[in-house]
Amino acid sequence: MTDVGRNPRVDPIALSIVWGKLLSIVEEMGGTLRRTAYSPAVREGDDFSSGLFDRKGRLIAQGQFSPAHIGAMPDVVRNVSRYIPVETLVPGDVVLFNDSALGSGHFPDFFLVMPMFIDGRLVGYSGATAHHIDTGGATPGSQEIAGVGEAYQEGLRLLPVRLFRAGELDEDILRVILGNVRVPDLVQGDLFAQRNAAHVGMTRMLAIFEEYGEETVENAFDEILVASEARMREFVRALPDGSWEFEDFLDDAGPGSGPVRFHVRVTIDDGDIELDFSGGGDQVPAGINCYYNFTRAWGNFTAMALAKAVMPQNEGTVRPIVITAREGSFFNAVHPAPSGGRATNQVRLFEVVNGALAKALPHRAMGAFTHWSNPNIGGIDDRTGKPFVQYDLLFGGYGGQHDKDGEEGMAPLMNCTNIPVEVYERAAPLLVKRLELMADSGGAGKFRGGLGLRKDVQVGCREALATLLTDRRKRAPFGVFGGAAGRKAEIVLFRDGESIPLETKETRPLKKDDVLSFRLSGAGGYGDPAERDPRRIEDDLADGYVTEEGARRDYGVEIEGGRVTGGNPRPPQTGNEDG
Amino acid sequence: MTAAQARYRVGVDVGGTFTDIVLHDSRSGALYVAKTLTTPGDLARAVMAGMDTVLEESGKEPSDVGALLHATTVATNAILERKGARTALLTTKGFRDVLILGRQKRYETYNLYFRKPEPLTRRRRIYEISERVDADGSVIAPIDMDGLDSVIDRLLAEGIESAAIVFLHSYANPDHERAAARRLAERAPGLAVTASCDVSPRIREYERSSTTLANAFVKPVVARYLDRLRETLTRRGFAAPLHVMQSNGGLVTPEIARDFPVRIVESGPAAGVLLARHIGRLESADHVLTFDMGGTTAKLGVVDDGEPAITSAFEVDTIDSRRYSGLPLSMPAIELLEIGAGGGSVASTDGHTIQVGPESAGADPGPICYGGGGDRPTVTDANLVLGYLDPENFNGGAMTLNPEAAEAGLRQSIAGPLGLSLEDAAWGVHAVANANMERAMRVMSVEKGRDPRRYVLVAFGGAGPIHAARIARALSIPRVIVPAAAGVGSAVGLLTADVRIDVTVTRAMALEAGASGRVAAAYAELESLVAKEAPRLGSTAPRLSRYAYLRQAGQGFEISVDLPDGPIDDSYVDRVIEAFRAAYERDYGYRDEASGVEAVDWCLAAMFSDGATGRLETTAVPRGEGGRIDGARRVYMPERAAWVACRILDRATLARETSARADGLPGPAIIEDPESTILALPGDRLSMSGRGDVIIDIDAMEDD
Repeated sequence: MTDVGRNPRVDPIALSIVWGKLLSIVEEMGGTLRRTAYSPAVREGDDFSSGLFDRKGRLIAQGQFSPAHIGAMPDVVRNVSRYIPVETLVPGDVVLFNDSALGSGHFPDFFLVMPMFIDGRLVGYSGATAHHIDTGGATPGSQEIAGVGEAYQEGLRLLPVRLFRAGELDEDILRVILGNVRVPDLVQGDLFAQRNAAHVGMTRMLAIFEEYGEETVENAFDEILVASEARMREFVRALPDGSWEFEDFLDDAGPGSGPVRFHVRVTIDDGDIELDFSGGGDQVPAGINCYYNFTRAWGNFTAMALAKAVMPQNEGTVRPIVITAREGSFFNAVHPAPSGGRATNQVRLFEVVNGALAKALPHRAMGAFTHWSNPNIGGIDDRTGKPFVQYDLLFGGYGGQHDKDGEEGMAPLMNCTNIPVEVYERAAPLLVKRLELMADSGGAGKFRGGLGLRKDVQVGCREALATLLTDRRKRAPFGVFGGAAGRKAEIVLFRDGESIPLETKETRPLKKDDVLSFRLSGAGGYGDPAERDPRRIEDDLADGYVTEEGARRDYGVEIEGGRVTGGNPRPPQTGNEDG
Repeated sequence: MTAAQARYRVGVDVGGTFTDIVLHDSRSGALYVAKTLTTPGDLARAVMAGMDTVLEESGKEPSDVGALLHATTVATNAILERKGARTALLTTKGFRDVLILGRQKRYETYNLYFRKPEPLTRRRRIYEISERVDADGSVIAPIDMDGLDSVIDRLLAEGIESAAIVFLHSYANPDHERAAARRLAERAPGLAVTASCDVSPRIREYERSSTTLANAFVKPVVARYLDRLRETLTRRGFAAPLHVMQSNGGLVTPEIARDFPVRIVESGPAAGVLLARHIGRLESADHVLTFDMGGTTAKLGVVDDGEPAITSAFEVDTIDSRRYSGLPLSMPAIELLEIGAGGGSVASTDGHTIQVGPESAGADPGPICYGGGGDRPTVTDANLVLGYLDPENFNGGAMTLNPEAAEAGLRQSIAGPLGLSLEDAAWGVHAVANANMERAMRVMSVEKGRDPRRYVLVAFGGAGPIHAARIARALSIPRVIVPAAAGVGSAVGLLTADVRIDVTVTRAMALEAGASGRVAAAYAELESLVAKEAPRLGSTAPRLSRYAYLRQAGQGFEISVDLPDGPIDDSYVDRVIEAFRAAYERDYGYRDEASGVEAVDWCLAAMFSDGATGRLETTAVPRGEGGRIDGARRVYMPERAAWVACRILDRATLARETSARADGLPGPAIIEDPESTILALPGDRLSMSGRGDVIIDIDAMEDD
């Protein structure tokens, strides 16, 4: 079942304590990084990770931060050694890279690895990854989709290099990096924050070797992987065996392009689970492709989430999960495919697996999410004459689940906080006109889908540029088991008394007093709307989540004075649900 | 005569399970203690029962008592049980869903089947008022008073008892909130009103909304409670003023507690940390880590430079203390970390490793050895099997424990599945529990730039003193102190508290030349807030202490920085920057002289100190006769050679013995207190301080 035997066995007490310490180290590394980093993705979005590896480069413990990095983490050390032979590493070396194929699928994610030694012998590695503010390329943030045909337009690409040699910073390498990014001070600060985090990891892991002895610790590493794999297999074994498939489509890969097919075949067989995305579309000439590590990251996350495997991750955890994707496809893109804006795909990767497994796992499946949005608006602040770029993170509701309505307004897979209106308005010449849930936008169902979010933003400077990024304007989020689809997304530009519909992935120049109205899709419902408890409908009416008109239309009920006075169940709405 | 100058003072801590009362005679030093079961329906009943006990024991009359100092869970419970007032939220038009959305982050990344915490009001009771202020405080749209009037009509029609008002950017310009509050007071005088600019004028609308709503939600409940308590006390003949403990560790008058009940949410735990501060002061320790381990959880706190560490915000009603799982309160509070590790924490195994907690057997059914029906082994069961607890003398002899049952449970659940001996299984449970607490202690210390070698560990609670010495060792903390009367720690802590209020205002700015005018303006505003509350504290001019939440320009996390006193002139900004750099270096280990510094929140603490602190020096030591326990039993000490013979004694015996020998008593040794058991390890040195605290110097004996 694994490549390591159970002998020599480490005693369970030492194992419990060493494992606990490793998990506390990766948490502490993450804390160090979060507190000292500059990138808002790191600070607010936990878009970073930390890992400890053994002598052989096996991932032993990873911090519970960005799931996007788990796909690359198990191979980090092996990938580094393809470029920098292990035997050439010395104490104080620090290796850095951001290549999309080696890392997590786009250039802003930098991986930093620090080998650790005892008496000159390599005993393991400490690593920290972080999403940087900018790595150069066509637009600030390096995540442009439309108009980017090759990765070379996305900025600086580093294959593994030594940033530090025997403890000395390589100023030449640093100069190359800082010379290619828009905000060199911040990138440098974040690189050093990563170095600090890795250093914390190294110091504390060496202390464990010191306390328990190398043999015990290495035996503990073997056991940790064995135990993790066994525990994950138990979770997978609890799922029914079989094979299922599902498809859905991304609206497009930018203005003027066609839909992108997402397809998965899920096979579960006695403790093994395979997600095969090979049936999906081909890679596209836009900055939105998934490199394999990215597909694997969210595939792993999805398998663990649907198996309810809430447990620490390492190389053992992911052994029972196999992620496949055809080379050259949208899900296993080949260099120089551009990929800066690939984050938008993560929700859809989850959703096709969710759709495929719905029948097999009715108590885990859920209606599709409202599609999140991460637009940004940049320009010159007329008050100061300085440039600004204001990122945003918009999240709507979850799909209905077997026992409850979709939660309202939550980060879907990636786990970020939103940006407070008061912080947003202070940072940039933008005024938020409204931020609210849209009544009737959630897919009807026995358990209703969460609502779409509306945010209207008014431009307060002479000119600005908006880079839009969302989806589900053409294809609504599906419901399951007869639940209705959520309402489709819209982006509307109010300009000089006119309202202009915009596409979901376009870049649009704005002028003063323009109002950009983001209206995210609603989430999909769960189960037949006719089965909805009338009291839930009345609660929704009282709380304004559903209007009387909406309730009559979507649930076929009669209403008087806020009360459901008669049922007139209609056949369940079908939308593009999976049945 | 001020409250603190009274000879007889009473501390009352109403907790979730127990109500603790202490009566202290400052002249003789005598401390009279009562512990009664809390009476949830009418909290005053347990208070009066405990009062009767201490009055009877001390032979005093209610009229002899000169001060009543009070910590209570009434506000916390109202929130936890969602049993507050029928509350409405009035907010800026277009932003009705700020409260519902929250910060939108899951408390567990890998869990998609969570439930958001239930808010304190429903969307149907969130009303929009047309008005708008921008980030600079300029009015963009005037407040629509007619619209407000029709909302007020609806509040009245719907039987709303309390209203919270939160408008965007009100920290920068409170005029609209104030106007709305005035109109509510005029048109709906029976309604309790809370405006965010009064409770928490700080940036970030969700956190401010949550805080303001919580205040409004508990306001009528706390007011009724305090009225009832005052009335009951008066009827019984108590004339002394009542003071209430806040989360920040300061006392206030009931009038202020009624207006700002959200300030008293962490009332009891804050008083516990004050006890540790006090012990530290008496035992010459300015830096204290506090460790309060009970049946269900362990609470950790910190005292730096003689003052409890204060956090600018915290969450209430969390799941396992996880961030984003609870309701945020933007209120200064004593920094506390609570983890699911107590005597009742359940041990289990997955066939590879041992896990302890966070699930707890609590007091009911309790550990297996209690014989109350518990069938899963707990930390207490392991401690009994290891010989650390005396089955015949648990809880001061009030309970008898069943070691055979504990052994059987550990064999079945842990030793068997893992192929371990019984003592290894028990040791594994004890060691894993220690490792969990060590990890939490590391978060509070090392990860926040505190060097444990400079701290002493003050341990209390029923289970804390058994584990303290090993945790101290793991973190290189040189000394453990187990105070006398630790079982009623929070009630005693109340006796050492100052009257204190903290006020805060957001004035976001870059700290650069020319900023001093704005800093001075912020402090003028804060001082006027203090001046407004001061008369109600019945006190002379307070001692003021400035602090601020500052960050490096571009970073998103602020740190708390104590600021210098003195005039705010042109050079003041430089001194603030220097204070920031020093604090940053302390927390993160490096200075970045090149970076800019930004301020977010400016704060002022006002201490109405009247000499209360330090008045417990003469606390009389052990209760009862003492000196009865002096013996030995075999205990498991893997530090030595598995089972060793260990001295067992009580405080009085320890006092007698160590007064005769200057070099203290060598470990291993166990001190049995009425409410807890203290464990010292081989190599440790035990002694007793002049005021009756047990001191363990870790690894201080010469090697033998």
